[in-house]
Amino acid sequence: MAKDHRAGSKVRGDRLPAILMASHLLEGDTVFLSDGGWTLDPTAAKIAHDAETAAVMEAEGKAAAAANTVIEPYLVPVDLTDDGLPVARHFRDAMRQKGPSIHPDMGKQAEFAPLD
Amino acid sequence: MYRYDEFDERFVRERVAQFRGQVERRLDGSLSEDEFKPLRLKNGLYLQLHAYMLRIAVPYGTLNSAQLRQLAHIAETYDKGYGHFTTRQNLQFNWPKLKDVPDILGLLADVEMHCIQTSGNCIRNVTSDQFAGVARDEVEDPRPTAELIRQWSSLHPEFVWLPRKFKIAVTGAEHDRAAIKVHDIGLKLKRNEQGAVGYEVIVGGGLGRTPMIGKLVREFLPKDELLAYLEAVMRVYNSEGRRDNKFKARVKILVHETGEEEFRARVEEEYAKLDGPTINAPDEEVERIAAYFAPPAYDTLPEASQVLDQARAIDPELDRFVEQNAFEHKQPGYIALTISLKEIGAVPGDMSADQMRAFADVAERYSFDEFRVTHAQNLVLPHVKKDDLPAVHAALKAAGLASANAGLITDIIACPGLDYCALATAKSIPIAQAIAKTFADRERQKTIGELPIKISGCINACGHHHVGAIGILGLEKGGRENYQITVGGDATEHAALGERLGPGIDAEDVPAAIEAIVETYLAEKTGEESFIETVRRTGAEPFKAGFTAFVESRAVNSEAAE
Amino acid sequence: MTLIREEGAVKDRFTRADTLDAALEIDGPALVPLTIAADFAKARPGAEFGISVPGSTPIEDVRPHLGGATLVAVEFPAFADGRGFSLAKKIVREGFAGTLRASGPLIADEFADALACGFTEVELPETMANRQPVQQWLAARATMSEHYQTGYGRGPSILQKRLAARKGA
Ligand code: SF4
Repeated sequence: MAKDHRAGSKVRGDRLPAILMASHLLEGDTVFLSDGGWTLDPTAAKIAHDAETAAVMEAEGKAAAAANTVIEPYLVPVDLTDDGLPVARHFRDAMRQKGPSIHPDMGKQAEFAPLD
Repeated sequence: MYRYDEFDERFVRERVAQFRGQVERRLDGSLSEDEFKPLRLKNGLYLQLHAYMLRIAVPYGTLNSAQLRQLAHIAETYDKGYGHFTTRQNLQFNWPKLKDVPDILGLLADVEMHCIQTSGNCIRNVTSDQFAGVARDEVEDPRPTAELIRQWSSLHPEFVWLPRKFKIAVTGAEHDRAAIKVHDIGLKLKRNEQGAVGYEVIVGGGLGRTPMIGKLVREFLPKDELLAYLEAVMRVYNSEGRRDNKFKARVKILVHETGEEEFRARVEEEYAKLDGPTINAPDEEVERIAAYFAPPAYDTLPEASQVLDQARAIDPELDRFVEQNAFEHKQPGYIALTISLKEIGAVPGDMSADQMRAFADVAERYSFDEFRVTHAQNLVLPHVKKDDLPAVHAALKAAGLASANAGLITDIIACPGLDYCALATAKSIPIAQAIAKTFADRERQKTIGELPIKISGCINACGHHHVGAIGILGLEKGGRENYQITVGGDATEHAALGERLGPGIDAEDVPAAIEAIVETYLAEKTGEESFIETVRRTGAEPFKAGFTAFVESRAVNSEAAE
Repeated sequence: MTLIREEGAVKDRFTRADTLDAALEIDGPALVPLTIAADFAKARPGAEFGISVPGSTPIEDVRPHLGGATLVAVEFPAFADGRGFSLAKKIVREGFAGTLRASGPLIADEFADALACGFTEVELPETMANRQPVQQWLAARATMSEHYQTGYGRGPSILQKRLAARKGA
């Protein structure tokens, strides 16, 4: 694998609604900003419906990175399911919400309720 | 194989402590993420899509059973019960926690292993021929050279902050199984007219965004001058390699932009200034290392084995396995055996902890306690007695390791791709699985014969798609995964880069496109020609025509369906 | 700026000046860019001075000044830019016996390598020294006690030690 990490994904169109995704520094797991801090559970991610909320969340992510809690936080544009759950619009971010497609027994998909 | 002495042992132990300290300093904020990242990479630790990934060095692809058992233990204790063998002859764990990595490194050190320089902008783990010491066409075993380079490149004070990564491969054989022409430096052991042993030195090959075949910079380098010459090449690269654009930072671009002749002149100029004897390894040291690679205590046996012949006659599965996966050994009565980690539908290169233990037992009992990792993500038992093959086959079969498809169309190389890799633009493994299923029929595989397919999930080309007889590159196009297909790539002494057949296609269409390409081959082939030989003779044109027809028929079908 | 040597933090005897006029105002040794070194030496014959050279500088440009300067400060634009290490090796090879300084945002983990390539000292911007105080540099330098490469560092390499052990045995 080549060296550099690629944070964020190219998504066309609306940037909202969005969730904030990052990696946990000590554990490495993908984490999401929720109402009560960072969560491993993709269904518990806080959803920004407007630009202001998104900006506040992004600032929270930066602060957490500066405090050595998470790495590479970024806003992820999502679509909402009928139940109001956030599903990433880019297939790469969706992979992070679920876990590897080749191992349904591993990652978020094995540990948490499905998003869709 | 090589065993650590007290110096190697202390070195690796201190490196573990050093990394532990670096993790602590990252957590207390002494090191920023920007500073820590290259430090963790130089110790093989990546951040992937779901978790960290730890890449463990398997120097020149050689391991013993105690090491594999330890890897199984680590897989179960700190990961999810499996490991993944890579195209760089290394092993990766996909789910370690940063907090556990120092302990994992300690366990590795217990069995003389480490993660030093398996990533980062430094000299990477050196790779070699998986049939080193076995092949009949070998001038000299490349492993002592590779081990010397491993030591010399480990934490080299001057060359740990290079413009970009730097990969060295060594082969000692006529037939190149180490892909030396697509490495930053490729070394080939050879004899000159006087019969002295030395190296042919090739610099500036590489894949990735700008694939290039390496250039010959030294026809014959006397064997005892190796380290000083490497130092000269590295110093020219470290000083002059581009640092303004990471896509132009590999040595291949420097060679290309400087010009082959001028680059050679600069290396020779630097080399002339060096005081070789103070840099090169003393003869005694070279001999000390080489002694570890002396041939094992073979039995004196006839070339043919009646036991095996009889067993093959009554067991068609064994017969196929031997026919497909065996490699001629220079010692009469022995063979080397490729263990394919490409069971149909499996993840190429993955091995469970249980399989590791079972395989360690086989290697210990039947192959002088030694095995190899290949850049095709398979394993090799290098020294198996033909008489033992029926028993070896039975043990492998029980562990799910007896796929008789080495080198066939289902023996596919695939990088981790979007299922794990943070840089990926498309999935890679599921494509390999779909193709393997399409061609699962054994007779069909046999009819098609040798056909290395290589798949990368982005332009970085870890799956070596440029040098696949069929290469597949996954990209992102308009928010979807899209696959470009090439034919004619070759990583051997006939090194060539594949040629693109046409526009990119959807993931669902890839298996049928491969079928169309195979049809073209079967129609074009003459005599016993392999796929790559046919492409070499006909060029890519007939394949382009077949591919274009396939793409058009797809378009018609999808319109009709709308 | 913090100046760190193997034995710990030391005081900087040199004062940096970017122009000839500024350099001529300085009491004590001046540290000047390569471009004005010749003029300075002419204007102040016999005065002690150092030269500042970017890590990317070809040795041919540095060589003419190595006789006059008592300090060469190799400038690192970033900690991950390793050109300065190769330049240091080349400067040492020219027989330069003065002080060789690595200057820039280096990290403590590079201290041992810098010393092994021939540097005498490291000059750090204050922001870096605050995050990675001198103790970290000294601790980092001591983490690895052995090296494989002959011709680097002061002690014998592992290869040389093996040879010595063999000869002694
Ligand atoms: S080729 Fe790309 S996707 Fe595949 S492993 Fe390398 S960097 Fe990742």
